[in-house]
Amino acid sequence: MGTISSAFSLISGALNADQAALSITANNVANASTPGYTQEVPTWQENDPLTINGVSYGNGVTETGAKSLRDSVLEERLDQQQQLASASSARLTALDGVQALFTPDSGSSSSKAGDIGGDITSFFSSFSQLEAQPTDNALRQGVLSSATTLAGDVSNAADSLNTQRAGLDQEAAGVTSQVNSLTSAISQLNLQIQSTSPNADAGTLEDQRDEDVSQLSQLIGINQVTTQDNGLSITTTSGQLLVSEGSNFQLTTGAVGGVTDFFLGGSDITSELASGGGQLGGYLTARDEDIPSALASLDQLAYSVSTNVNALNNTGTDLDGTTGSVANPLYIFNQPTTVAGSAANMSVIMTDPNQIAAAAAGQGSGDNSNAIAMANLQNQSLIPPVATSSFSMVQNLSSATAIGGTASGNITVYDSLGKSYDATVTYTNQGNNTWDYSISMPDTVTPDTSVANQVSYQFGAGETVDPGTNLTITGASGGGVATITAPQVVAGEAVGTAGPPPTGYVAALDAALTAKGITGVTVTNTGGVLTIAGATATSGNVIADPVASANATGTLQFNAAGVLTSPAANVSGLTFAGLSDGGATLNLQWGLYAANGTANISQTAAASLQSAQSQNGAAGGSDDQTPIDFYSNFVSTLGATVSGVQAENTAQNASVTQLQTQNNALSSVNLNDEASALSTLQTAYQAASQVFSMLNTIMAAALNLGDQTTVS
Amino acid sequence: MRVDPSYVSNLVGSLDQSQANEQQLTAELSSGVSISSLSQNPVASGENVLLLNQIQQDDSFTQSSSLVSGQLQVADSTLGSVVTELTSAISLATSANNGTMNSSDVKSIANQISGILDEVQSLANTSYQGQYIFSGGQTSTTPFTTSTATSPAVTTYNGDNDINYLGTPNGQKIQLNVPGSQIFLGAGSNSVFGALNSLVADYSSGSVNTAQAVSDTEALGTAMNYVSQQRVTIDNSITQVTTASEAVTSDETQLTSAQSNLMQADVATVSTQLSLSETQQTALEDVIAQLNSTSNSLFSKLPA
Repeated sequence: MGTISSAFSLISGALNADQAALSITANNVANASTPGYTQEVPTWQENDPLTINGVSYGNGVTETGAKSLRDSVLEERLDQQQQLASASSARLTALDGVQALFTPDSGSSSSKAGDIGGDITSFFSSFSQLEAQPTDNALRQGVLSSATTLAGDVSNAADSLNTQRAGLDQEAAGVTSQVNSLTSAISQLNLQIQSTSPNADAGTLEDQRDEDVSQLSQLIGINQVTTQDNGLSITTTSGQLLVSEGSNFQLTTGAVGGVTDFFLGGSDITSELASGGGQLGGYLTARDEDIPSALASLDQLAYSVSTNVNALNNTGTDLDGTTGSVANPLYIFNQPTTVAGSAANMSVIMTDPNQIAAAAAGQGSGDNSNAIAMANLQNQSLIPPVATSSFSMVQNLSSATAIGGTASGNITVYDSLGKSYDATVTYTNQGNNTWDYSISMPDTVTPDTSVANQVSYQFGAGETVDPGTNLTITGASGGGVATITAPQVVAGEAVGTAGPPPTGYVAALDAALTAKGITGVTVTNTGGVLTIAGATATSGNVIADPVASANATGTLQFNAAGVLTSPAANVSGLTFAGLSDGGATLNLQWGLYAANGTANISQTAAASLQSAQSQNGAAGGSDDQTPIDFYSNFVSTLGATVSGVQAENTAQNASVTQLQTQNNALSSVNLNDEASALSTLQTAYQAASQVFSMLNTIMAAALNLGDQTTVS
Repeated sequence: MRVDPSYVSNLVGSLDQSQANEQQLTAELSSGVSISSLSQNPVASGENVLLLNQIQQDDSFTQSSSLVSGQLQVADSTLGSVVTELTSAISLATSANNGTMNSSDVKSIANQISGILDEVQSLANTSYQGQYIFSGGQTSTTPFTTSTATSPAVTTYNGDNDINYLGTPNGQKIQLNVPGSQIFLGAGSNSVFGALNSLVADYSSGSVNTAQAVSDTEALGTAMNYVSQQRVTIDNSITQVTTASEAVTSDETQLTSAQSNLMQADVATVSTQLSLSETQQTALEDVIAQLNSTSNSLFSKLPA
């Protein structure tokens, strides 16, 4: 049977519980505007009933503490969506800057300034006008002036793109310190949460940790894994560890190839971060893909226009009756040697308008045939597509291959000038379902025989001599002639110099010539041009190896069923730089996976090897465009890219808003709810007080046993 | 289910969007241009580049054609004058050939024809804006010089046989000149200077070898007809330039109209959109004001 004392105890417990709940409500109201605060609700627990003489009596209520209303799955989805949204948002901001450089020309005179499309037309039209009066000085000045405008606008656009790229580089580098301070804070919070609340929601501490994770996910792409004792591990989207419970790993930066690269534990993870998402992903995508792509197009335009116009002007006759020569070329534009950098370096070097060769070679100054040819350049397909190729090959690697045994596949790719390369992927079995791969792209150097009695080979910057080189030289030896058979070249051999002492490939040729007693043949290397002078004959090929990026070699891992498991994605960012024809650096993507996600490379027990190939590159001349078509396609493509990112960003932001709404509905403080709770708790507290008061009266009556005056 | 208590901030997001939209529409109205960035309409932006290129090429041709028209007109009128001069030379020669003139009259005729020869040579050496128009590509070289060391005198052509053309935007080529040698020093009896020099030689002594003089007079007539034939080439070019110029102007008008349709803002549509956007913004502002009012909170219903 319950007693008055137990009723007292019960109701005072209720008053305590109400007070605790009121305090939670007060805390909710106080934090209604705190970012990251998760609404808390009191946890009411009915006390164990009291059983007396087999009869159960309720024993009141206890408030066991505040519970945060949190859905960690929803929060993680929100974080992931925010990563995507902030990546596209950062990329969009950068792209807006890029497209602002190419504002559409409305056709009014004020909008023409800086319009490269209009400049191209004006430049070629100035030759059309020169056709009418090829000797007219004003019309000749008009050609130089429109050339200056074109070159100025192209180089300004290239400079602005480079400046924007440098700006993005700085902003990207600036993200590092924020990432590091957040990962450090998260690891500290992990320690506190693990020690204070290993088995339950850690409330405010967890709010802080969630807020930090949310901020981190806006900066870079991350994955979260909950560990034991309520800890949290964070990796980048590609799996590099940033936070492991109480420890964090700092992101560091370093300059590589003129831009900032990002390192974690000594590995360069820049390309992984670029595709990972977050603000940093957006910055890096714009820095490493969007802007370089726009620059490559401008370079291609500048290179083709400059070299074609220069070449044609050089073949004609100028007003003074002069025709261009190797020693005194009649060049209008600064003659580019490589596609890369052509736009930034585009300028007019001709100062004397008389040097414009309106007349054909051998014709009088009044002839206009060359001016017609120059004007017609605008209708000629002289601009090759920008060199970006992807290749894939279907290959079944035989698991029966001996360890150390190899297999290979070939593919033809093309550079920006349409030169073809026979790229080879060599697979070497390492055992345990692992194969190493190595991609090589021999670059056959075109011999230059324009100077009598000599042959020269222009190597690209940084190119080395490929072991496939089989140059033979015949020269005078004693009374007759002798021939050296191709001296062996070691992989990675430098072109070398004539010395003394001679080095590299030059030394190998020298030694072979001496051994055969051949005299009068000199081998030199001047600025990457290997020249053999005085030989009676040469044959064979000089093959160079372009500078390959690190991922031209790597490892393929298959599972027991022979299915490719690593790399999990296509190999992108494969570059081959310093090509001998001066074409832009080849950017390749190796399509390890088909569009439907199945791997093109597999390992099977069958001994058969099968290879198929495809590529998007273009042979010289096949997809060339006129200057204005090229520019038109360039602006359409740029516009479509920006528009695509805009649509993506809008959709992602809408998705973030939806998830945010869902999360807010659960976790944020609703003042109406709090008002209602306050009112309810107030009523409950009043009721409990009333009960207490009544019990007090009853207790007094019991103690006084009817005498009203003793105890009141 | 609980609602998102911070829905007001979402509404503010919508308000921002609506304002950005209004800004864009206002910019379109004030500039008159509907596409101010590539991403607004990538396809139209690319098409615009091509249209402006064609318009500009047409424009450039119109300017070129007015330049060459001047030169062609000068060539044409010069050849007209040459024909006039030659007609009077023939008339003089015919009168000298009829056997009624005395030696002094014949010498006078020789002097007059010599004067005509000088005049024709001067016409053949006509220049336009400092450039000789009948010297082929050698426009800075005097095309014709006469040596009187022999009799008959010999007129030499110092130019070349180069022919210039003007390209039209649709690829047509219009001939801009006829080399002087072709007009004035044609082969056989087509040579103007040959015939004139012979006639001067025929009459300069005062006695006339009638058979020779008649033959030379006939040769001058043939040469004159040949000049007229060459003039037709120039006349044809004038017609071609005029026709091409008209065609190009008409093409330019069409292209300009197409370009305007592509790039210019449609004021009526933009104004309607702007009005809609303003209405939406006002509505959003009212909703936000209503939601933000304190009387909407349950707290306001609690006893003070």
